[in-house]
Amino acid sequence: MSPQTGATVFIVDDDADVRLSIQRLLKTVGLRAELFATAQDFLRRNISDGPSCLVLDVRLPEVGGLEVQHKLAAAGINIPIIFVTAHGDIPMSVKAMKSGAVEFLTKPFRDQDLLDAIQEALKRDQLARRHQSEIAELHERHKSLTAREREVMELMVSGMQTKQIATALGTSEVTAAVHRGNVMRKMHASSPAELGSMVERLRLSSNR
Amino acid sequence: LQLTQAHFREGQRLARMGSWTSDGTKCQWSDELFQIYGLDPRKGVPSTEEFLTIIHAQDRPPMAEAIRLMLEEERGCDVTTRVMRPDGKMRYVRCVAMRVVEQGVFKGFLGTGMDVTEQELLTQELRRDQAYLAEAQSLTHIGSWATNFHTGQMFHLSDETFRLHGFDPKDAPIPLERFFDTIHPEDREAITVALKHAIQTRTDYDIREFRICLPDGSIRFLRTIGHHNPSAEMGYYIGITMDITERKQAEQEREKLRQLEADLAHINRVNMMGELAAALAHEIKQPITAAVTNAGACVRFLEMERPDILEAREAASGTVGCATRAAEIIDRVRALFKKTAPQWEPVNINELIREIALLLQNEIRRHSVAVHLGLAENLPEVMADRVQLQQVLMNLMLNAIEAMQGVSAHLEINSQRTDDGQLLIAVSDTGLGLPTEKADQIFDAFFTTKPQGTGMGLAISRSIVESHGGRLWASSNSGRGATFRFTLPCEESLRT
Repeated sequence: MSPQTGATVFIVDDDADVRLSIQRLLKTVGLRAELFATAQDFLRRNISDGPSCLVLDVRLPEVGGLEVQHKLAAAGINIPIIFVTAHGDIPMSVKAMKSGAVEFLTKPFRDQDLLDAIQEALKRDQLARRHQSEIAELHERHKSLTAREREVMELMVSGMQTKQIATALGTSEVTAAVHRGNVMRKMHASSPAELGSMVERLRLSSNR
Repeated sequence: LQLTQAHFREGQRLARMGSWTSDGTKCQWSDELFQIYGLDPRKGVPSTEEFLTIIHAQDRPPMAEAIRLMLEEERGCDVTTRVMRPDGKMRYVRCVAMRVVEQGVFKGFLGTGMDVTEQELLTQELRRDQAYLAEAQSLTHIGSWATNFHTGQMFHLSDETFRLHGFDPKDAPIPLERFFDTIHPEDREAITVALKHAIQTRTDYDIREFRICLPDGSIRFLRTIGHHNPSAEMGYYIGITMDITERKQAEQEREKLRQLEADLAHINRVNMMGELAAALAHEIKQPITAAVTNAGACVRFLEMERPDILEAREAASGTVGCATRAAEIIDRVRALFKKTAPQWEPVNINELIREIALLLQNEIRRHSVAVHLGLAENLPEVMADRVQLQQVLMNLMLNAIEAMQGVSAHLEINSQRTDDGQLLIAVSDTGLGLPTEKADQIFDAFFTTKPQGTGMGLAISRSIVESHGGRLWASSNSGRGATFRFTLPCEESLRT
């Protein structure tokens, strides 16, 4: 378990003692915390930079925790959320978890449970961010292909050999082989199987 | 003859009655008749036209018609008209004409003229009074009557009495039995018994409430009061009957409202407890969470390879602060409850038991519970907080009712005096009985066998009873169920 350096844990709770105690606990594992008394204060903060997660109280004045979760999702912000509440019921926690919360902790919680949940959340955030940047990179590589190369790539992914590709495109086998080489090089693919998974991920991300 | 005629005149004058004869051509009036019509005898008998001029304009046509029938059809008459005498006085005069027939041959008329002004005015006044009375009866829906129940004779029945029983006064006479037939079948026997008793003992009666069925199927509530005059014959009663339907409905509405209010108060109390508990739990959990988290941080700072004493100290003092805050919240809540200091007053425990039984009527019905109250009479009052004792009784009774699911649910509440002068109240049910393993735990706070229970009911009840100087305990019944008993010292036992 290695806490990510530079990661920020946002804490939104209307109780100052609770906020400060969580901040103190996070300090013991070297995590930086940012504290907010209301959901509005937090929503005004720009949180797109750096790995982070959110510890969110369910019962907050005016804008409640579940509403914050909803607003973030609507704004396309995928920050992992750990809910804490002093009076959680099962339907409420089910709703929160279904909407993608990492964990739903009832107060008072064990300090280890909160730390575990935060580690899990940060890990998810890291993965998500890595995934995000990989997809971005793939899109860049894909953009560098010529129209002919993209055509060849589609045929490669569908399982055709160089000879079949040449026949399909009505070119010589040599020309097809050159295109094929370019695709593999430009996409940084080491094997047709890897190329296949890259194309799959591209399709998924552009479908979204 | 002169003397006879003088007597005759005197007699007519006294009777205010004049006479006349007519043989078809000639008409003769007695002196008194001239007097009655205010005419001068010296001017002779007036012609028909002259006569009609002194008749009140409104009465003239019927009078003219009567005269026409006399002259043309030889018919007799009996007409009362207003006469406008020349001296300006208005009198009511009854004119009667009788046919004189001798050996089958019509000879003429013999008639009288009678001053009936006094009688007429009296009759009018009587009619007016009757109209007022009828109006009053119909407005208040009170009917009057006089009847002999023994013989079935009816001497008087006001129009309103007919209407109260759904009859039209125009259909009179209606036999007494038909009035009886309108009584609701379920009320008939009670009324018959009450009436028979009154008749036999020659006493008055007051049947405060009974139902009658009207022809349209609706039901009205009546009250009837009969007065028997001791000197009158047996079974002779005069009385009134009144419609109390509206009052009755208002009463029922009030009762329903009262029940609703009681239900609402009950629900409110239950809800309030729940709300309060939730709010309290939330409030207290915040500082406890902070305290626990601070304590966790403190331990972690100390367990580091190079313990951070400074941070650990901060965390530890944070823990202290938060725990203190939690305690303060609890103190505040207690202070809140202390504001409602017990209101000590003399309380009649039996009255209280009946109140709560009434209050729980819905629950009792819902669970089909048979309730038996065995309350000792003449119990002394206890000095107590009425609301708190209500709470104890409600708790025990609700527990009992809820413990009895299914057949032969029997709830018994007894009150009595013990040998040492205390009051002993027992709430006994035929329910599941006490949990055998945990019989000693039932009075602990948060102990409950019910899915929705708070586990506070019995704990609070015991604390209330003890604050009143009594004891509350439970025991299993020899058969089914359990009995909860509590004692309350009453004033007398405190003094001794």
